[in-house]
Amino acid sequence: MAEHTVKAFDEDITRLRGLIAEMGGLAEVAIEEAMQALVTGDAELAKAVVARDKKLDALESEVDAMAIRTIALRAPMADDLREIIAALKIGGVLERIGDYAKNIAKRAPRIEGRNRFEPLTLIPAMGELAAGMVHDVLTAFAARDPVLAREVIERDNKVDAFYDSIFRNLVSYMVENPATISSAAELLFVARNIERIGDHATNVAEMVHFAAVGTYPEDIER
Amino acid sequence: MVTDLTTETQPKMRTRDVSVFYGDKQAVDSVSIDIPTEDVTAFIGPSGCGKSTFLRALNRMNDTIASARVEGCIELDGEDIYKSKMDVVQLRARVGMVFQKPNPFPKSIYENIAYGPRIHGLAEGKAQLDAIVEKSLRRAGLWEEVKDRLTDSGTALSGGQQQRLCIARAIAVQPEVILMDEPCSALDPIATAKIEELIDELRGRYAIVIVTHSMQQAARVSQRTAFFHLGKMVEYGHTSDIFTNPREERTKDYITGRYG
Repeated sequence: MAEHTVKAFDEDITRLRGLIAEMGGLAEVAIEEAMQALVTGDAELAKAVVARDKKLDALESEVDAMAIRTIALRAPMADDLREIIAALKIGGVLERIGDYAKNIAKRAPRIEGRNRFEPLTLIPAMGELAAGMVHDVLTAFAARDPVLAREVIERDNKVDAFYDSIFRNLVSYMVENPATISSAAELLFVARNIERIGDHATNVAEMVHFAAVGTYPEDIER
Repeated sequence: MVTDLTTETQPKMRTRDVSVFYGDKQAVDSVSIDIPTEDVTAFIGPSGCGKSTFLRALNRMNDTIASARVEGCIELDGEDIYKSKMDVVQLRARVGMVFQKPNPFPKSIYENIAYGPRIHGLAEGKAQLDAIVEKSLRRAGLWEEVKDRLTDSGTALSGGQQQRLCIARAIAVQPEVILMDEPCSALDPIATAKIEELIDELRGRYAIVIVTHSMQQAARVSQRTAFFHLGKMVEYGHTSDIFTNPREERTKDYITGRYG
């Protein structure tokens, strides 16, 4: 894309895009490490995930400040305006995704009898899928790629299918053996959190599409 | 994306393939546009793009320049304004103009407004003329500020007041179209805001066309925007579309500050 006559404007936008990329990277790692903590029961790792969420919160504030400053100073128009608004909203969503990962990490050490649960093999696969959505949607944002954004949106169906399957599975554990209820309930929340991450990644994809071409993707089954 | 710019009624002004030349140099190239009464239309574009020249063609202001030549068709209510029978003085009353620098007559505030209606025979007697003066000043949002000093010279007013006086003067002859050529470029932000507020109030009553270098102003005051570049009208659309999602790359580059 051609440069702005005012070079500082380009620097502002580049900085804003950089902050979003950084947030996305942190959110993705948070999901992956929360999954790892869940599988291994590693309490230290879980703590580290929780602690690192503060960094995401700080970055979100920085995105807000940067976006507001750019709007006030540059009065952006057209694709610039769309991109800055998208960054502002994406920043908020990534912070939420970080919160879900944090919540999963908090629950990880509370799971008892890890070997018993078949869902414990399904949940990391689901988490990997959601983390992949977060990763790819940020690639789409960086590349202003509406095609990849659509592709991410379509992937959310798979996350939802995982959730349904895990849900049924966990309920059957609870019915068969009430002793598993507390751990199964924790895992239910974990699955629910991942499902929400998928939804949020989908929202980000819609914003990426809007920033890139000026319209929201319409004809996608969700 | 399809931009629907059709109007319910016949457009107040309609141009077809209008080109304007200064001697050998072509300043405007085949511009076709419909200008309705219900919306404010903004012309934007870099210096020298032809937008002011085109604006001035709409009430034959270019007639005063010997080398200027206009081709194509410009209609007001379906009537060709360049046909020989057209009374140019009458035309300029119907299609009024407000310029970049306020240009009140060096006469009293009252006379600035009364002059037009008097020569066009719009008032019978002093009472009617007084009424026109008051109504025009009220519409221009200036009455409260000047009602006690109507005999003061128009040139003694502040810049912003002078510009509103010029708008009142244009309104006084009951125009159908008001052309504004960068009406706020010599004004401070508060005076600018007052003019913009005024434009909003006048919208619908008159077809208003504004040429402005301020993209923000075009976005604020207009409902339709036409982008001009190198004499051509590159894009004409709803203002909300032009500034958030323009169709043409050149429009986008200009409004986002990537031009040149």
